[in-house]
Formats: sequence, structure tokens, C-alpha cells
Amino acid sequence: MIVVENLTKTFRLSKEQKKEKVAHARGNRVDAVADVCFCCKPGRIFSLLGPNGAGKTTALRLIATMLRPSSGRIAVAGFDTVKEAGQVRRHIGFLTGSTGLYERLTPTEMIDYYGRLHGMEPALLARRKGELFRLLGIEEFAGRRIGKLSSGMKQKVSIARTMIHDPQVLVFDEPTVGLDVITAKSILQLIRQCRTDGKTVIFSTHIMGEVSLLSDDLAIIHRGRLLYNDTYEAYTRGMKAKSLEDEFIRRVEEA
Amino acid sequence: MKLLAIIFKKELRDMLRDRRTLFFMIIMPFLVIFLIFNLSMRLGMDMEKRAQEKELCVAVFSAEPLPDFSKLLQGSEKVKIDTTVDKKEIDQAVRNGRLDFAVSFAADFSETVDRDGTGDVQVYYKASTSENELALERIRKVMEKYKQQLLERRLQKKSLAAAFVEPLKIVEKDVSTIREKMGQRLGGMFPYFFVIFCFLGAMYPAIDLAAGEKERGTMETLLVSPASRLQIVTGKFLVVTASGIFTALSSVLWLYIVFRQSRMLPTEVLGVILKLIEWKSLLLLFSMIIPLCAFFAAILLSVSVFAKSYKEAQSIIAPLNIMIIIPVLIGIFPGIKLNAITALIPILNISLATKEIIAGTIPPMLMAEVFLVLFALAAVGLVFCTHWFNREEVIFRGV
Repeated sequence: MIVVENLTKTFRLSKEQKKEKVAHARGNRVDAVADVCFCCKPGRIFSLLGPNGAGKTTALRLIATMLRPSSGRIAVAGFDTVKEAGQVRRHIGFLTGSTGLYERLTPTEMIDYYGRLHGMEPALLARRKGELFRLLGIEEFAGRRIGKLSSGMKQKVSIARTMIHDPQVLVFDEPTVGLDVITAKSILQLIRQCRTDGKTVIFSTHIMGEVSLLSDDLAIIHRGRLLYNDTYEAYTRGMKAKSLEDEFIRRVEEA
Repeated sequence: MKLLAIIFKKELRDMLRDRRTLFFMIIMPFLVIFLIFNLSMRLGMDMEKRAQEKELCVAVFSAEPLPDFSKLLQGSEKVKIDTTVDKKEIDQAVRNGRLDFAVSFAADFSETVDRDGTGDVQVYYKASTSENELALERIRKVMEKYKQQLLERRLQKKSLAAAFVEPLKIVEKDVSTIREKMGQRLGGMFPYFFVIFCFLGAMYPAIDLAAGEKERGTMETLLVSPASRLQIVTGKFLVVTASGIFTALSSVLWLYIVFRQSRMLPTEVLGVILKLIEWKSLLLLFSMIIPLCAFFAAILLSVSVFAKSYKEAQSIIAPLNIMIIIPVLIGIFPGIKLNAITALIPILNISLATKEIIAGTIPPMLMAEVFLVLFALAAVGLVFCTHWFNREEVIFRGV
């Protein structure tokens, strides 16, 4: 479970951002996320939608304890992200489309590293690694350096890294960005599998096809503020435009 | 501690698989030391040999014949007397290399000398040619012999003993040991190698483990792991420090091997140098290298994590190389000694302390002060680096 209450994150604008004139800036500062509330439940997929720069990545980084909230509170798997950041990180798996891997390590070494960081016992780590490698088809290239693998193979290793400690909560930040159709499809399958396994899943995207395939709950974020937060079903029921995409654009433009 | 060990082990493995880092740790020190040592020795020896073996073309100008001087000049090895150059052309002939030297006696030279006066002689040469500078010694010897002949003749005429013009016989007794003398010279050269290689050895791992991780996107995943920022930064810091230490030691080892294998150094000189490098000195040097590398690692990691990319980190760090060399160079200047003030200046204190360690003359209090300063800097560096890693605007700058 992820509970986000009145979450705000304020950044100081960089020189480049000042030149770009960020629309919702207040002087030298900008609220990347402003007074946001939502809840992601176990066994459901929560989609966070928004145009570029809307605050999706910031919100997910706050959930993953990479950033500290300026105000508000987040609880992940029952742990506070500020006071119990270590515990939150033990219960979370984080995957982004731009997730990098250590190119000089092999998939086995990479997964062992993250498994050990999560404090997994060697026997449990070996068993879990074996399962994931079989499931994702990593076994055949498990001993090769990651730098020599194709982008599809690398993404499989990234998934294994995210899942090795069997986290209760999974955060996917635009996980299919820049991937080919086949690899993107396998990621979407994995996200669905996570729901079946009773995990709490939050994923951000701006690809409407993915939203319709996966979402149970949906939130739209724009200029740091939530424009919509309800079930996917309620969203489709209340659509004034013809398609998901048009409805999304309508809501953003009206804001 | 367990997480720290896991991070350290992984970072070490990752670093040791980086060819660029390995090149800087092992190959680069060898290449630099081998090339500097062999090239400088060979060039120096070749130049001296050429200067000794070169046939010097010398023209002599005097109002009257000076048979004694001519005899001395002709008696010198590999000297050719040129009689074709006109006195008015001396400057031009020496400048364009037609003559190596021209000796011009004043018009009243013989008369002045006969009156027991001082005769003027001018020696023309072109000092901008290094070979001529060395060959000048050969001409000086001839002039000295001639001067001696004239002096002896004068003394005989006056029935005076040679001691008449030498009321003092100064015997200089240098009480410093060979170790002390060589230590000051060799010790000045040592910091050049290990300070610079400490820095170079730590540089690439620092860039790779911070800016490189940010660029590749691995930093984000590491930050979501259960390891705390302190554990992450300390793990990286220890690996960067270890790399600097290893590179510095590798440079000292290559220096030893290159010295030992050299056939260009006279055996007795080589023997003295090898005796100087004793275990006690090496241990003291090693103990200074550890905090120095830790200090460098903290600075480099802080800069690297601030950079948006690998390239930006490189461009910020490159000028630091020069800033490191300056205090080392100052330490080589004569007259600058290790004292309570200079011991406080980082890098310069290492440069000066190394000379004293090799010469075996370092006062224990100053050694303690140098250690204290270096360890304090390393500790401050690590605290700053950790604080820097904790700042969101730094760690996510450009991400």
C-alpha cells in the first residue's frame, strides 16, 4: 500500500529553468508536486499520467525515498518515507526506462549485488535468482558482461534487479520509454503479473495504450497538481471526449 | 558495516574491470617513469658526449703572436684553429656557427701583462646552444692553464713562491652524509611521482563511480537500495582512496625497478640511491600517502557527484591537476624548508617531508604535524563529501 497525503515538493529553479520560464514557478522556486493526495492499494495498478515536466518522476522519487518531501507525508508498506526510509527501501522495487546497469558486471553479479544489499540469505538469493532467470530467460547470458548485451536483454536484467527481493511495492517510472515493442510488451506482462501476485503497483506513463491495458486506478498530474484521481472505470465512464487520449488532453487544457 | 563491505567489494570489482583505470594504475606510471628517466638520462649523456667529442673551431685574435697560448690550444684534443675569420666578423661568425669560440686578446695585452698588469681577454661563444655551454669548459681549462703559466713566470721573476699569491688554503669539509645530500636531491623528485600518481590514480575511479553512475542511471537504483547515503559514499570513497594508493605505490615500485635495471647510472651512484630507499623511509612515505589519497578521493568524489556527466566531471577535474603540481614544485625550490608553518600547507608539506624522510633528517614533531594536517584534511574531506552526497540538488543535478 502507498498512501500519499498532502504531498508538496518545492525546488529552487536552476539557471536553465529560469531562462525557460517554468509556467507554475513562484519567483526562484517551483512546486514540482503540490498538495497531492492519492492511495495505491495492493493487487491494483495505479497509473500516474501527465505531460512531460508534470511532476510524475518527482512524485515517484519521493515515494522511493530518493527525495524528501517539503511538506506532507508518504507511507509505503506502512513505513514513513522520511522517518523509516531504510524500511521503505527494503519493501520497494524501482524500475525506470532509463535504468542503468553496471556494464562491467555480469547479470549474475549484478543480481547478487542487489540481493545482498537487500540482506537476502545466500540460499534464498540463489533460489529467487534461479526463478527470475528462468522466468525472464536470462540463464543463457547470465555470465556475459552486461555491456555486451542487447537492450532487450539489459531490460530483463533490470527487471530481475527490481524484483530480486520480492518487494511488496513496485514503482515503474515510464518503464517502456525507448524500448522496442517486444521488450515493452514483456514489461507490461510483468506489471500485470505483479497485480496478480497481490503487489502494490504504481506506474507513470504518457502512453494511453498502456493506461487502458493496465490501469485499475488512475491519477492525472499537471504542473504538480492532481487534476483527476479515481478508478479507471470512472474515468472512462465520465469521458466527454471520444478517446482516452483526447479526454486526457481536454482535462489538461481545461486546467 | 556489512552493506559497506558489499558496496566496497562491488565497486572494487567494477573498477578493476575498467581498462582506463587499470591503465592509469599500472601502465601509465611505468611509461612516465621509464620515459622520463631514460629520455632525460640518455639525452643528458648524449649531449655531454657530443660536447666532449666535438671538434671545436676556435679563432684567436691578438696584436702580437702568443706562442705559449697557441701551443696550449693546439695541444688540446679536438681543437681546430681557424685563421680565415676577420676580427670584424667575430660576432657574426660565432652567431652563425662558423666558429664555436673566438678568443680575442686586447691590443695591449702583452704589454700590460709584462708590466705585471691584468690583460683583457674576451671569449666569444653562443650559449643558446647547450652543447657549446658544455664545450666552454674545455676552453676554460686552456685559459686557466695559460693564466697559471703567466702567473708562475711572474712569481719566478720576483723570486716569489707560489704560496705568495695564496695566503689562504681553504679546505671545505662537508659533514653531511651521502644520504643527507642525496636525500635532498632525490627526495625533491619523489613527490613529483607519488603525489601526481595518487591524484591520477584516484581521478578516473572517482569520475566513474559518481558522475559516471549518474550518467548511466545506476545511481538512482543504488539510492533506492537499503544502503544509506553514508554507506554508499563511504564505499565509493574507500575504493577511490585504494586506487590512489595503489597507483602511488605502483609508481614508487616502477621507479625502483627502473633505477635498478638502469645501466646508465654509475654503479656507485646506483648503490647509494638503493641504500637510501630503506624500509623505514618507505613505511613513513606510505603512511603519508594514505591520508593524501583519502583527501584527494574526497575532493574528487565531491566534484564528480556535482557534475552532470562524465565529460563535465573531466573538464572540472583537469585543471585541478595543475593546482596539485604547484605546491610540489614550490617544495623543490631551494631554501624552502619544512617548518611549523609549511607543515600546515597540504601537498607542500608532503613534498618537503619526503625530502627530509629520505635524507633521514625529519624532526618527529614536524612529522607528527604533517600527519595531523593530512588526516584532518582527509576527515574534513569525507565529511564534506558525505554532506554533498546528501544534498538533493547535487545528487540529482542534471538527472
